Amino acid sequence: MLRRGRRIPAMVPIASMGDIAFLLIIFFMLTSNFIKEAHVVLDRPTAPDIEEMKESQISVSMDKEGQAWLQGEPCPVEVIEEGVAALLADRDDKLVMLKIDREAPHEAYGEIFLQLSRAGAEIALVGLPENE
Amino acid sequence: MLKRAHEHKEIDVAAFADVAFLLIIFFILTTTFIKPAGNRLEIPSGAPDPAKTETKQLTISLTATEIHYGPKGEKMTLDELRAALWQCNFKARPPDRRAVIVESAPDVPYQLYFNVVMAITNADGVLAIVEEEKGAGR
Repeated sequence: MLRRGRRIPAMVPIASMGDIAFLLIIFFMLTSNFIKEAHVVLDRPTAPDIEEMKESQISVSMDKEGQAWLQGEPCPVEVIEEGVAALLADRDDKLVMLKIDREAPHEAYGEIFLQLSRAGAEIALVGLPENE
Repeated sequence: MLKRAHEHKEIDVAAFADVAFLLIIFFILTTTFIKPAGNRLEIPSGAPDPAKTETKQLTISLTATEIHYGPKGEKMTLDELRAALWQCNFKARPPDRRAVIVESAPDVPYQLYFNVVMAITNADGVLAIVEEEKGAGR
C-alpha cells in the first residue's frame, strides 16, 4: 500500500517573467525613435496625391513665423547649409525631411530650399493627405 | 532555546512581472507611431550650363492666391495646372528638359507652393530652384 506523503504546494516559477518583461521594455526603449521636435508647432500642408514615405533621421522645420529648426533646435536660416552638410557628411542616405507650416511665407522658406540644395541634400517634403 | 525548523525563504516576485507588463502596455498605448507622408524632390544640381540656357523651360509664377502657367502667364486653378503638367509628358523627355521653374512672390503661402511642387513631381517634372544673383533685382 502506498503511504501518503506530505502535501507540497504546487508553484510555477515566475521569477524569470519579470526579467523577460523588463528586457522587452529595454528593447522598446532602445529601438524607439523619439521625436526631437515635438515642441515645434506646425500646421502641415495637405495634398490629394501624397504617399507614405521613409522616415529620415535629419529634419529641418519652419513654423509660420519663419523660425527655422534643425533637428529640433532653433537655427538661423543662413547656417542651415552648414549644419545639414555636417550632418550628411558621414551618411550614405542624403534624405532630409522638410517640414514647413502651411502659412509660412515664401520669403522665409524659399531660402531653406536653396540652403538644402547647396548642402547636397535630397529633400523630402512632408505633408498630410488631403482627407486627414 | 527555541528550535526553528529550517524554512526556505523566498521573496514573492509575482507582482514584479505584473508591474513590468503594465509598463509595457502603458508605453504601447501612449506611443504615437508616425508614418510621414510626402514626396521626394528631384532637384537639378550644379551650375547652369550656358549651352542650355537657350532651351525654353516651363515657368510657373505664383502670387499669394494665383497660379500663372507658361510663357503667356495663363491663370490656372490647381486642377488645371495638374492636367497641363500631365500633358507635358515629362517622363518621355530627357532629364535636362524636365525642369520646371517656379517663381514665387514673397507672400506666397507654403500651402500653395507645396501643392504646385507636388503637382510637378507627380507629373515627373523636376523643380528648378532659381537663385537670384546678389544685387540683382526681381
